[in-house]
Amino acid sequence: MTDLNVSSEPVKYNPDFAKEIYALESGEHVKLCMQCGMCALSCATREEMDYSPRKLFLLMRVGKREEFFKANTMWMCSTCLMCKVRCPRGIPLADVMHDLKSHAIKLGYTERPQATFYQSFWQEILNKGRVFEGGLMARYYLKRGWSEMTKGLFEMRDLGMTMLKHNRMPLKSPKSIKGLKSMKQIIERAQAQMHREEGR
Amino acid sequence: MVNKSILVVGGGISGLTAAIEAAEVGFEVYIVEKNSYLGGKVTQINQYFPKLCPPNCGLEINFRRIRSNPNIRFFTMAEVEEITGQEGNFDVTVKLNPQYVNENCTACGKCAEVCPAERANDFNYGLDKTKAVHMAHQFAFPVKYVIDAKACEAGCSKCAEVCQYKAVELDMQPKTMKLNVGSVVWATGWKPYDAQKLSYYGFGRYPNVITNVIMERLAAANGPTGGKIVRPSDGKEIKSIAFIQCAGSRDENHLHCCSTVCCMATLKQTTYVREQYPDARICVYYIDIRSRGKHEDFFVKVQNETNITLIKGKAGEIMEDPATGNLTVMAEDQIAQQLTGEMFDMVVLATGMAPATAEQKIPAEISYDEDGFVASPQTAGVHAAGCVKKPLDVAASVQDATAAALKAIQSVRGQNNV
Amino acid sequence: MSKKIGVYICSGCGIGDALDVSALSKVATKEYKAPVCKTDAFLCGKDGVDIIKKDVAEEGVNYVVIAGCSGRVNYDVFDFGPSVVLERVNLRERVVWTQEPDDEDTQAMAEDYMRITLAKLKNLEAPVPFIGEEVSKRIMVVGGGLAGMTSATEAAAAGYEVVLVEKEESLGGWLKKSYKIAPLSPPYTNPEETDLAGRIKKIEDNPNIKVYTLASIEQTAGSPGMFDVTIKQGDAAATERVGAIVLAAGAVPYDPGKLEHLGFGASPNVITQAQLEELAQKGCIARPSDGKAVQKVAFIQCAGSRDQEHLSYCSAACCVESIKQSLYVKEQNPEAAVYVFYKDIRSSGQYEHFYKKAQSEGVIFIKADVTGVSDDGGNITIEADDLLMGSPTMADEIDLVVLANGMVPATAFEDPALGGEAQAEVAAGSDQAAPAPAPIIKSNILNLQYRQGPELPSLKYGFPDSHFICFPYETRRTGIYAAGSVRRPMDMAQAVEDATGAALKAIQCVEMSARGMAVHPRSGDLSYPEFQMNRCTQCKRCTEECPFGAINEDEKSNPLPNPTRCRRCGTCMGACPERIISFKNYSVPMVGNMLKAIEVPEEDEEKPRVLIFACENDAIPALDMAGINRLAYSKWIRIIPVRCLGSLNLIWVNDAMSKGIDGVLLMGCKHGDDYQCHFMKGSELAGIRLSKVSETLDRMGLESDRVYMTEVSIMDYDKIPKIVGDFVDKIEKFGPNPMKGF
Repeated sequence: MTDLNVSSEPVKYNPDFAKEIYALESGEHVKLCMQCGMCALSCATREEMDYSPRKLFLLMRVGKREEFFKANTMWMCSTCLMCKVRCPRGIPLADVMHDLKSHAIKLGYTERPQATFYQSFWQEILNKGRVFEGGLMARYYLKRGWSEMTKGLFEMRDLGMTMLKHNRMPLKSPKSIKGLKSMKQIIERAQAQMHREEGR
Repeated sequence: MVNKSILVVGGGISGLTAAIEAAEVGFEVYIVEKNSYLGGKVTQINQYFPKLCPPNCGLEINFRRIRSNPNIRFFTMAEVEEITGQEGNFDVTVKLNPQYVNENCTACGKCAEVCPAERANDFNYGLDKTKAVHMAHQFAFPVKYVIDAKACEAGCSKCAEVCQYKAVELDMQPKTMKLNVGSVVWATGWKPYDAQKLSYYGFGRYPNVITNVIMERLAAANGPTGGKIVRPSDGKEIKSIAFIQCAGSRDENHLHCCSTVCCMATLKQTTYVREQYPDARICVYYIDIRSRGKHEDFFVKVQNETNITLIKGKAGEIMEDPATGNLTVMAEDQIAQQLTGEMFDMVVLATGMAPATAEQKIPAEISYDEDGFVASPQTAGVHAAGCVKKPLDVAASVQDATAAALKAIQSVRGQNNV
Repeated sequence: MSKKIGVYICSGCGIGDALDVSALSKVATKEYKAPVCKTDAFLCGKDGVDIIKKDVAEEGVNYVVIAGCSGRVNYDVFDFGPSVVLERVNLRERVVWTQEPDDEDTQAMAEDYMRITLAKLKNLEAPVPFIGEEVSKRIMVVGGGLAGMTSATEAAAAGYEVVLVEKEESLGGWLKKSYKIAPLSPPYTNPEETDLAGRIKKIEDNPNIKVYTLASIEQTAGSPGMFDVTIKQGDAAATERVGAIVLAAGAVPYDPGKLEHLGFGASPNVITQAQLEELAQKGCIARPSDGKAVQKVAFIQCAGSRDQEHLSYCSAACCVESIKQSLYVKEQNPEAAVYVFYKDIRSSGQYEHFYKKAQSEGVIFIKADVTGVSDDGGNITIEADDLLMGSPTMADEIDLVVLANGMVPATAFEDPALGGEAQAEVAAGSDQAAPAPAPIIKSNILNLQYRQGPELPSLKYGFPDSHFICFPYETRRTGIYAAGSVRRPMDMAQAVEDATGAALKAIQCVEMSARGMAVHPRSGDLSYPEFQMNRCTQCKRCTEECPFGAINEDEKSNPLPNPTRCRRCGTCMGACPERIISFKNYSVPMVGNMLKAIEVPEEDEEKPRVLIFACENDAIPALDMAGINRLAYSKWIRIIPVRCLGSLNLIWVNDAMSKGIDGVLLMGCKHGDDYQCHFMKGSELAGIRLSKVSETLDRMGLESDRVYMTEVSIMDYDKIPKIVGDFVDKIEKFGPNPMKGF
């Protein structure tokens, strides 16, 4: 894990940032964190995270916005739900992490590859109503750049071959789903409602 | 007609206190206790914090108060089944379970000598065995033997044959009895929260993960090891031990409240370990140390004298090395800012207090809080005392029970509305 | 009424197999001329008991001696009513379960116990209770705060008259100064109304409660059942007779003037919890400096508490109070930022729900050590070491800092008006070898007319608390019970319970005193010490040593006993060099006769005798437990129980040595800081007296180590054989007592 003293600036408590997080869909629950650290230990990817969720909330409380969004914590969450199940304060941590990811993307914190992946995945769904691995890869590497693509494709060649062999990865883009238009309408309506609720 | 007598349900420290205090004012009191002995949970405690004195000392005084006070009558192996009527005039149905040993018993012990059957000793949480006919524990009051009929060999009547006082009655049947009383004090106490529900700590699977109540028995001179604190798996001495606080307390998935006593109980237990193992490594994993009031002195004393390591961070998981039985405790040490995984010979879970009323409700109109503690009795004349109301240490239970005695007296005096 | 002794020997439980019962009977009938002596194989059985009952009814037996099991068992079976004096000879646990069966030394031991008991009967009379004159059952409550009002209302609801004394002009104490209180009942999530008016009305409407406001207690004279309290109201004084007292004088906040390091005094915007209550009561929590409604508030916990330089204890209530006050701020302005700087959040028990509530309102809790508080034109900056961040941090632009400044009991302050005279007198009057008297701080609250000082002895930090865990209402001034925050730091919910319990104890005391009974721990004891004044030498030992301050002194230093203050431990009896203090059923000559009844073999028989005086509270049960566990111990010992080692009179040691007994072992309870003596000072005093014994022994030409005192707890039963064995070995090395045969 990373040492928390990431910046040499004197740490100053700033409640405004916490309020921003509390306003997210599951953000309200974060208030209840009592800093016990159970989440840190329940986490399947705890070794990979810069900060445990508990520490992330600590940064939030202090108002360290940049460190908060630049940490990999939310992106490393694999939604295994163990933290949510065990949190003694009943904080739905996986949901909170999801909120944070979407909030981070909205705010433009998209440097993390996972952010690109989420965005690509979403675009792919929105476009076809289903996911085409090739299309997903294309979108992803278009954003991440040429050098990452060569490196990435080289590293994943075995996986790719295996998937091909087992017919798990079509080479040709599949057709869009039936009723793609209706699906888009559903999503638009849901998003509109969400915006209305956020505006309240 | 107002009945002036008081029924106290539960003969633990709260029930005993409520009963004796009311009786010494001059009221007739009945105690109904489900075990074969009085004293309840405190009989299983090795020492009280913060004085590190033996509970049997105070119990002895209380039993003497009972012995010398004709106002008190008690029934062991008894349970309340039904309460009807109202304040000043309750009819209570009490079930008397068979002890299979009658009042002739002189506690001479001949029966146990010939008894061929053994049973796990529940008084020591199954860590040792007793004969099917046994005395519940050395300090049992009343001093009478009891038979665990489930443990008996079929058709065996050796104990009955050897007893020259005709004290064994193997065909004893449950009985019911009616009591008419003016008021009821409900003091059925607490149970240790079931640590098996905390699957990540492995209690029940890893033999060297024990609970704080088991630790009391391990440290007790009259416990299964004669007071020597050793590992349950192999009887080995301890070089390192961890205490895990809030094991089930302060937890939305388990007991929502804080159990109040576990911090002090753990600090006390570190002194047990330190006394036997001057060089052992002792770690306490905590969220907050709650040694309230003057108990802070004990916390300071333990920090100064007992050489313990306090780790701020709830332990998240325990892993066992099946070859050695050693345990790795995973936690986030928040002061040192790191994940830790330290290995210990033994781990003690500071499991909290679940009210007895979480499982067995009072047969009257009563409301309970989210953890099953008595919220406020709606039935006038029925008063809760001690740990069925809130998690309390011994001194606070006694205070609360003394207060409940006054409430009961107000009920039977019929002057509650003055 | 003439004594008619009936001796009943049980031969059951192996007694008959191990002992020659007929020889034992002869001790009773031949040596002690007991007119009735019977033997039964199952004395506690119905038939056995009937034999005794029949003798009582038909033969006029009124002194029953049962030789069989310990008095700790079958107490209910062997109960022949109050008119029969009952003594038990413990042959089972103390002889046959610890000694070789069918052995002459075992037989000798059993016969000696028979002798000891029968000798005891010579000086044993049924106690006649002390009944005071004009005994009052009224309860006085000192202090009209939450605890005091609760005690008063609860005692009155049980039908007792109450006199309530309050120093301020109206009742309420802290409630008057509080906007709201922390919840007293489930769900424990929201501050509650103080309901002050309702509480006061309950008292005013109750004709059984008499209230004195603006009142102080000039003096408290007398004893339980007969306290005469002079209450001063302005220039007027009234005297009330009451039976017992609840001291609910409360606590005051720790002096914030001492908290300069947290900014108090330097900035008007650094205030105490009490000041925040005032602001909240006024309806607006605003900055004292300029009246601006607060946007950012910080609470600093443990301001003074848990601090070796201030109050080393935790004040218990402040975490819950700050949680409550943080909710005030949030109630006024949900958008306000609220920080709580803490060491540990101690929202014990169900107050965890209250903590969660504050969190859910957005209050931010920071585990930190505050290192500095500075004011810049009304804006405050707090610097701290955030322990979980692991770095120094800062909170700035704070409008208001609230110090959770803890509590100090009202009894902790010496009233400067009173000078230090009486205290000095106690110190000067005490023997150098005596234990330090418990600190009595002249707080000018009760003004007890007690020889040992005017207030309740303080246990620690000025709190007159009980030292016992099992008996939190134990008090060193019988009939006076401290309740609420005066006796230990506590929150309001605890204070309510405590005050109710204290009311019960006060009621119990007046009831028992009226019947002439002792209160805890010898509750129900009808005996009390009587003084043969014509032989008193005014040495003051009894008045100084009584652990309960029961004995006053007249101007000529004569002791003035107060039987209802007495707890019947016998410490005065043990202290008295003239042996003028006796109970009807416990006296110096009685124990003297008991030990003289022991048969001491001739020197050439090489059978030493060791006498054990054992405290009946812990050592006697431990000895019983040794028997129950069949732990064999020395056959040379003879045990005599004492009420408390404090009642040990040195003449007994003298008598034992003169008689030829080779050694005396004293078994008492632990003393020192964590004492377990149920009479507080008894075992400690015995130890001090014993230090003087060496002189006596030297005079007799004996080794002073022939007398030894040891601490035995009830759990030490497994150590009994070794404790006894080691001492007997030592005595055997000294060789026989040369006084034998004189």
